[in-house]
Amino acid sequence: MLAVQTILDGLVLGGLYALAAVGFSLIFGVLGVVNLSHGAIVMMGAYLTWFIWHTTGLDPLLAIPPVMLVLFGFGYIYQRGLIQLAVDRSSLMASMLVTFGVALMLRNLLVLVFSPDFKSITPGYAFSFLRIGGVTIDLVRMSALGASLALLGALAWVLNRTRIGRVIRATAQQELAARLCGVNARHVYAVTFGVSAAFAGASGAILGIVLPFSPPDEANWTLNAFVVVVLGGVGSPSGALLGGLLLGLISTGTSQLIGPAFPNAMMFLILVLMLLVRPAGLLGNAFAASR
Amino acid sequence: MPRIARRTLMQLAGGTALALPALHTARAQARKLVFGGSIPLSGGAAETGLNVNNGYATAVKFLNEQGGVDIAGTKYQLELKLFDDASDPSRATTLIQRLLDDRVDFFLGSFGSNIVLPTAAITERAERPMVQAGGGSDQIFTQGNRYVFGIFPRATRQFQSTVAFFKTLNPQPKTFSVIATNDAFSKTFAAGIVKDCQAAGYQMIENYLLPEQISDASSVLSSIRAKTPDMLLCAMHDQNSLLVARQMIATGTNVGLLFQGLGPQLASYREALGKHATGIFYSTYWDPRTTWKDPFFESAGKFAEYYGKNFTRPIAYHVAAGAACIITYVKAMQAARSIDPVKVRDALAATDLETLYGRIRFTADGDGDAVAMGPSVGQVLKGAGEVVYPAGGKTAELLWPVPAWDKKG
Repeated sequence: MLAVQTILDGLVLGGLYALAAVGFSLIFGVLGVVNLSHGAIVMMGAYLTWFIWHTTGLDPLLAIPPVMLVLFGFGYIYQRGLIQLAVDRSSLMASMLVTFGVALMLRNLLVLVFSPDFKSITPGYAFSFLRIGGVTIDLVRMSALGASLALLGALAWVLNRTRIGRVIRATAQQELAARLCGVNARHVYAVTFGVSAAFAGASGAILGIVLPFSPPDEANWTLNAFVVVVLGGVGSPSGALLGGLLLGLISTGTSQLIGPAFPNAMMFLILVLMLLVRPAGLLGNAFAASR
Repeated sequence: MPRIARRTLMQLAGGTALALPALHTARAQARKLVFGGSIPLSGGAAETGLNVNNGYATAVKFLNEQGGVDIAGTKYQLELKLFDDASDPSRATTLIQRLLDDRVDFFLGSFGSNIVLPTAAITERAERPMVQAGGGSDQIFTQGNRYVFGIFPRATRQFQSTVAFFKTLNPQPKTFSVIATNDAFSKTFAAGIVKDCQAAGYQMIENYLLPEQISDASSVLSSIRAKTPDMLLCAMHDQNSLLVARQMIATGTNVGLLFQGLGPQLASYREALGKHATGIFYSTYWDPRTTWKDPFFESAGKFAEYYGKNFTRPIAYHVAAGAACIITYVKAMQAARSIDPVKVRDALAATDLETLYGRIRFTADGDGDAVAMGPSVGQVLKGAGEVVYPAGGKTAELLWPVPAWDKKG
């Protein structure tokens, strides 16, 4: 029974990792930018949700759409106003440094606005659980997993079935060809960044329901996203989902079988092994085929 | 008889004229007593760091408003030179070194043993005293440091009074498990818990060590549900404590007694758990309702009142501990009748006085005396933190046995 519980806990945790990483994966896949401010955007989502819940009493899950909308706008402006400039004037490496600087600024901005105290979103159902046989299901974490899967599914649908999704994929695969077909690549990049920021915000909202959070946590979520992408592959929701679920299972499995002190050590060991053996991740780069 | 040339005389006169304002300034500056240090105002330790910082600031503001402090017949205004170390030990060491270069003689501690440890090593080498209310790890006090003084007892001695409290419980618990995180303070605190509980005859079921920052404790809680102890004792910082408590409630993981050393003291922790927080035990070193007398603030209550008028942040025991650092320094300087760091250090080592925080007395190694400065036991009752042990400091009646999560109302 302990094995079933461990697998279930791993899958639930993995769902959170996957959603938190998908935006990072998309930006890396389409723009080639390693967004080191990703975790800070996740935290912005968590704080915005906390703010809405705290001031209006709106259910945090219902706060996800407005949070996504706000962060889509933020991501769009951030890419067009800052990252694109850095890429144009220097290189992709410069954009990485820019995102690092922005992460530091966002972290301190959150401290300034919300104080460094940790926050916690606890709606009425925050402590509900089910017990089936000997297995305990934390309903909040389970609903977080459900929301993660729904959002990842929606993103996959947008990328694969809609016009803007096709344009994003086309631009990622062959920017020049896309431009020749009349695609405004800069706009597409900014939209992609906006979508990624929106999903980061949604994951922040869900994380806020599950965990207490404070501004310094942003570094962990950037790191987790990086590991998920290395594990699963770049650019696709399915890669993020696979990477996230694997990371969740590795984390709870290591904790149960080796010791609760070792999940991080195991995570980094696997990161190194993957970079050596299969650097593009298990599902590879979703946009690499035509490059 | 040697004659002084007119040019030399003019040079001397000119030099003296130039030096006079500088001497005057030096004298004016000497009337300022500077306390330097780093403090986490951002980063992971900022929540409690802010409380310690506010304690330092409250005491300095109050003493300056009283006209300063009298040391051997000279009035001094106090000044704080505290910089944000962002909870980062390497940044903190740079800041401390810079303050030493700026000739700061007296230091206050940061918050977190991982920061206090390296910064104290620097001030110790420079033979400058540091009084701190932020580091309890044994390593700070077992390396022969002579200039480092801690308001808290070392971590492995902080649990003795809590075990004495456990022995008063009826029905009596028999077994315990420990969850600790992998950081300097929590690990040594957990070692103290295990040592003291086993010495008192309690049987240990498991001792879990988690990473320094936790995002999931489900595996440990599964194990606890399978092998349930009478007491679950957590040695970790605030945010981790809340995460563990939340996951325990959300998975129906019940134990007879949940003790979390840090966390339940904070209003944000209690608000997050709501009614579920009822009955959780914690360590508390101070309460505004205690009857301690203070040489400057008169009493703990008046200190709390003054703090409330000047700060919006809720008062916590770390605020009082921070203020006690300043009070202790000033009283040591008055006892030494000097602001010479070596003499002040000797006076600090001999300190034995009652303050708003309680009795201040250091061991030969510099940490707080475990009997005089050890913690009381707090329990969350009706959404507030109350002292339930020892009997002399009780602010409310103990809730025991504690009901299961779903029976709390």
